[in-house]
Amino acid sequence: MWIQWILALVLSAGAVAAEPVYRERVADEGLIVPRASGDSALSGTYRYWKNPAKLDARLIGDPENNWKLNWVFLDGPFNTDMHAGHLALDRGTKLFRELNTSGTFKNCLTGSGLGIRKDFDRLRGLRTVFPRYRTDLNRVAGLEEVIEHCARLERQELQMGSHDNSAVSMFIASYSNGMPIAIDVSGGEMKKSYERGKQLFFTKMGRLNLACASCHVNKVGAFMRATAITSPYADADHYPVYRDRTGITSLQLRFAQCSLVLGINPLKMGSRSYTDLEVFFTALTNGHPVSVPSERY
Amino acid sequence: MVIFLVLNGRARRRSFAALLVLCTTTNWAADWPADAMVDTRFPMRTLIPKVVVDSGKLEWVPHDIDLTAFVTPSHLDLRPTPKPQKAVYTPPLNGDAKRGRSLVMDARAAACVTCHEVPGEQWPGNVGPSLHRYKMQQRTAAELYQQIFDVRVNLPQAVMPPFGTMGILSDQDIRDIVACLQTCE
Repeated sequence: MWIQWILALVLSAGAVAAEPVYRERVADEGLIVPRASGDSALSGTYRYWKNPAKLDARLIGDPENNWKLNWVFLDGPFNTDMHAGHLALDRGTKLFRELNTSGTFKNCLTGSGLGIRKDFDRLRGLRTVFPRYRTDLNRVAGLEEVIEHCARLERQELQMGSHDNSAVSMFIASYSNGMPIAIDVSGGEMKKSYERGKQLFFTKMGRLNLACASCHVNKVGAFMRATAITSPYADADHYPVYRDRTGITSLQLRFAQCSLVLGINPLKMGSRSYTDLEVFFTALTNGHPVSVPSERY
Repeated sequence: MVIFLVLNGRARRRSFAALLVLCTTTNWAADWPADAMVDTRFPMRTLIPKVVVDSGKLEWVPHDIDLTAFVTPSHLDLRPTPKPQKAVYTPPLNGDAKRGRSLVMDARAAACVTCHEVPGEQWPGNVGPSLHRYKMQQRTAAELYQQIFDVRVNLPQAVMPPFGTMGILSDQDIRDIVACLQTCE
């Protein structure tokens, strides 16, 4: 009577031992490195935007060439427009104060007692070291995931990707304005996460069978009708960002929006794949200063 | 199945449990991964995020197209990417160039103009090669059909999506677009 079990086990073992699932990948030509200056070798535009305080204003009004500024002119200090990002920052300030009445919310965010370096035991510079490995969560987590976790401990619901979660994230990031992103992906869980994110960046998927790298490595600067294809470097510094199409948008929420363009079903906020991509894109921003509130299209 | 039916109650339960193990450990069902945002109560099961101002909740609403069948970036997604497929093209072409042109320009259909220069369009894309003077190149209908159906057969590293293999364009759609390309001057 155990014949069914034996049959099932044999067949399952065969399925598990089978070769890996068929996937297509864009060739990795070594153009992707975990620092913003790597863009010099990819699109060659790094020199135009590496210093946000010294942008060449002549390029901005030129619709065929303004992509060369990597849209940094939409960040402060260049962008002095009043936009919904400023309102979200005010909202984030109010929410943070409400959450942190006893001081435990801030301690949770900075990870006091979790063996994180002392100089990050305050809000200043906190944004520049996320995503990072958190011993309390036992995994690599982005700032928004930690905000959701710490807010839950204060009995508040701030779902990742929600307006209020991003507002608090923006408030925390505002303490790091002008400080370069500095996450370490040279070893441990962070390296593994970065490598998985990089793998995803080069993997074709979705209804159109496209990888991020299909366009954002070899076709940077080409036009899709009026939209110039941007560099994958230095994107994480201005998140959460105000997008005029979708409102206040965290980096992981942006992945869900990107995937719709490629015909990919969005994933849950905080899914391991999105966190790996967040680590990957933040590593590609290493060395570029944080700038919030900012806007993008 | 017959064996399943003739077994007594206990053996039948055991067979059912064994089948369950088989189904959960293999990927025959080819379902979407557990972390995909899907709601089967809607005809279009894909959910998209919607930011609600001054709220701690992220709202998820149904999309206008069902994307559950396609590979996602999830690490739990074990469905294979459809392999390059050789098109079955039977002449004559029977293509309507006028309808083809509307498919070429339509962002919800082929959207060729997103990446290719198309005669008569002021602001096309330039990711792919220009489609000007396709008539002069005199490429055969079969060749063009394959190129649109699944470009990977001839160019494995091409960026262009495999419109036929992915079911984005029907046989007649591709015939119409081929007819349109053959008139491009």
